[in-house]
Amino acid sequence: MSTTQVDKSAPSERARKIGGMYRTYWLVMLVAVVALSLVRIATGADDITAANTLRAAILSACPILLAGMGGLWSERAGIVNIGLEGQMLLGTWGAAYFTYNYGPWVGLLGAAAMGALGGLLHGLATITFGVDHIVSGVAINIIGLGATTFLAEAFFSDYQYGGPRQLTGLDGLPFVTVPGLSDGLKSLNDQGWFVISDLAGLLAALTTKVSVVTILIAVIVVLTAWILWHTSFGLRLRSCGENPAAAESLGVNVYRYKYVAVLVSGGLAGLGGAFLALVAASGFTTNQSNGRGYIGLAAMIFGNWNPFGTLGASLLFGYTDALRLRSPSAVHALLLVVAIGLLAYAAWRFYQGARTSAIVLGLIGAAFLVWFLTTDTVPREFTGMTPYVVTLLVLALASQRLRPPAADGQVYRKGSAG
Amino acid sequence: MPAAPPAPGASSTEAVIEAPEVRLIGIGKRFPGVIANHDVEVTIRPATVHALIGENGAGKSTLMKILYGVQKPDDGTIEVGGTERSFRTPTDAIGVGIGMVFQHFMLADNLTALENAVLGAEKLHGIGDKARAEFESISERYGFGLRPDVLVEKLGVADRQRLEILKVLFRGAKVLILDEPTAVLVPQEVDALFANLRDLRAHGHSILFISHKLDEVLAIADDITVMRRGTTVGSAVPGEVTKQELAEMMVGSELPSPETSESTVTDVVQLSLSGVTLTDDAGRDLLSDISFDIHRGEILGIAGVEGNGQAELVETVMGMRRLTSGRILLGEEDVTDWDTRRLRESGVGYIPEDRHRHGLLLDSPLWENRILGHQTRPPSVKGPWINRSGARKDTRRIVDEYDVRTPGIDTVARALSGGNQQKLIIGREMSGDPVLLIASHPTRGVDVGAQAAIWSHIKRARHDGLAVLLISADLDELIGLSDRIEVILRGRMVGTFDPAGVTPKDLGAAMTGGGEA
Repeated sequence: MSTTQVDKSAPSERARKIGGMYRTYWLVMLVAVVALSLVRIATGADDITAANTLRAAILSACPILLAGMGGLWSERAGIVNIGLEGQMLLGTWGAAYFTYNYGPWVGLLGAAAMGALGGLLHGLATITFGVDHIVSGVAINIIGLGATTFLAEAFFSDYQYGGPRQLTGLDGLPFVTVPGLSDGLKSLNDQGWFVISDLAGLLAALTTKVSVVTILIAVIVVLTAWILWHTSFGLRLRSCGENPAAAESLGVNVYRYKYVAVLVSGGLAGLGGAFLALVAASGFTTNQSNGRGYIGLAAMIFGNWNPFGTLGASLLFGYTDALRLRSPSAVHALLLVVAIGLLAYAAWRFYQGARTSAIVLGLIGAAFLVWFLTTDTVPREFTGMTPYVVTLLVLALASQRLRPPAADGQVYRKGSAG
Repeated sequence: MPAAPPAPGASSTEAVIEAPEVRLIGIGKRFPGVIANHDVEVTIRPATVHALIGENGAGKSTLMKILYGVQKPDDGTIEVGGTERSFRTPTDAIGVGIGMVFQHFMLADNLTALENAVLGAEKLHGIGDKARAEFESISERYGFGLRPDVLVEKLGVADRQRLEILKVLFRGAKVLILDEPTAVLVPQEVDALFANLRDLRAHGHSILFISHKLDEVLAIADDITVMRRGTTVGSAVPGEVTKQELAEMMVGSELPSPETSESTVTDVVQLSLSGVTLTDDAGRDLLSDISFDIHRGEILGIAGVEGNGQAELVETVMGMRRLTSGRILLGEEDVTDWDTRRLRESGVGYIPEDRHRHGLLLDSPLWENRILGHQTRPPSVKGPWINRSGARKDTRRIVDEYDVRTPGIDTVARALSGGNQQKLIIGREMSGDPVLLIASHPTRGVDVGAQAAIWSHIKRARHDGLAVLLISADLDELIGLSDRIEVILRGRMVGTFDPAGVTPKDLGAAMTGGGEA
């Protein structure tokens, strides 16, 4: 039969495309490591690839990544969930309450449930009542902040180590260290060898005191990619974000999939809140997420609505965040990284023939270079905004190639098919 | 009319799946204030192409939605293969082997062809290699030539339609409903589609073919049912009726035609484009070196397959896009750098392609819609203020002169039918003595009555010395109205035709780059 012949050529074309994608990821990673290593040696800012910095980067990235995954789930089904921030806040309270009463594992579940509750609210407003997604999301953020503040005061004031605005002394979750490997890698990291020490630092960060929640998050990212792109459930869910009318005309229950998506979305954001309260810190405080829900949404956009892209973006944000907290002086070295990155990108754009943008990028890159060469430190006022500036910069550069789901943010009414 | 080719060797290897007979008996459907269908009787014989014809608004689409389970009938029964069925959702209809290809494609651009086909039918063949094999085998069997891993956004219109048909076949449908499938195709693509349909028929499928294009119906159908005002008014067999007879059954009276009378072309150039080029951000040419003149009293028709630069051309002339090089003259003046408002104030009227997105505020009353585009000119404004009474009075004039059927000028635009919305837009654009009218698909989606009225307004304006740039996908309209036709292909003008001697076939060939330029 002639079909078998076609059969073989098609998957190989597909495999080639996917293979190329992964090659690009690895290439970018490699270039980043080499650049960081060069900058480390040139500036002597050992902190920028120290194992401790990278470990802090992962800790900082995790809640953002969870918020990003939450955003990914809902936006792939066509619902903009700007309420991630509020759902995260609900999660921090849920984590604290349930951990205090039933232990940390139930605390995780409780956080996810509280987040999902926020998601349900968003779903009710946007799916059933057709409220504008942004309006509903902003409302949920306000409700999330108000509700957690109120609930904390109502419940935690009487608890041991509790107060109207915080609850500390919560049981933590276990950390995992790979014995042997961890120490060896760390000492290798301290040697200061070109590239090898930097890679060792990265691996040490991945093998030393890794929270089980971090491992859970890694599983979630892989699972999200697998469910959304390799199951019929995922196909249906994504079709609701691309063309809900078409999906409905084929017998997909659009409302149901949107609800599932927004519930999962809220649940993941809630889990992100739990990470903040139980892993990154040792207790609950009000307004603990402090804008990470929004950053997660930005990370998802910069990650092109793709789980691994979101992972990369979250790590980038986590890295700059960790760097500014641990060693403000290393932020100065980061200027050089940014300058090199911009100049390289400018050269690439120039090679592509986009003269104007290449020149503009080149000038900005040169300005960073001059800034780096003429100063010794970055003013304290600026270091605090490093993560945001870097995110903004990367988003601005990447935004040309981004492709949101086609029906993202649009209100869908049942029966629009035909 | 193309002769039916013999059905290609369907018999040898493939098992012929015999479609069941479908009968619609006494179907009725009422919406608040309208009777969409009443006493509809249709019988579709197995393995035939059954054409359902009627004007816009005759109730064809409602009937299709009933047969496909999108809407529930108020009266009547549906029989499939002799068994009475009732469908609550499309899934029920798919379950008994009825599939539908909508007029507006139901495809997700950012998913692959395979994903679109599999969606909703994952249980049949999974979503992996088995589904891929099934996809390829269907594509092979009917000669669709579709590849499973291409993103739908990369597919052309004809391929999208084939994908829609494949999608239905993937679900094992025996009866296919095609709602105006030829509306978006050029003549050559229509021939290819018909070859596909004959092939499907030879494999034992039944096809319900909805159209109002009589040539096509006579070319493809085995049976014809005619609908008018929500009910079936007769049936016919091709070969035994003429086009004229069918048309009269459809309309119930004589047909209007777009034919213009004597030429009114003067030698005063009203709009002149020279070397107009438009490049997008990526450096590709959307329009390349376009030059033409339109004289006063002349209608220049632009023919082209949608997406070949018509929209960009209109937006460039209207000042919505900045051209990369070239010059535009309006009368004596160089208007190349003018913005849209200045152009409109100097007498350019514009009937946009999509009246809902660009022509009207659907939730605003008619008199506010009258002000749009005239927000700097009397009678809509007085100094910096909106002249409420002036605008309302002028809206009443438009409603009367252009026969806009509406309860009043405070009605919101959404409540009007497409034809009446369009008449309001035309009335508005003809206000304030325009010198140039740009009409994009002026009669798209309007009924025959409104179509005739719109044609006569355009003809009268031409007679009064208006220059008209007409873009239309309806080749009969182009040939009937235009004094000259230019064909656009991939942003270039590829040929000039005299409407007196050109057939839709010739235009179609030029539109796809098939014919000599």
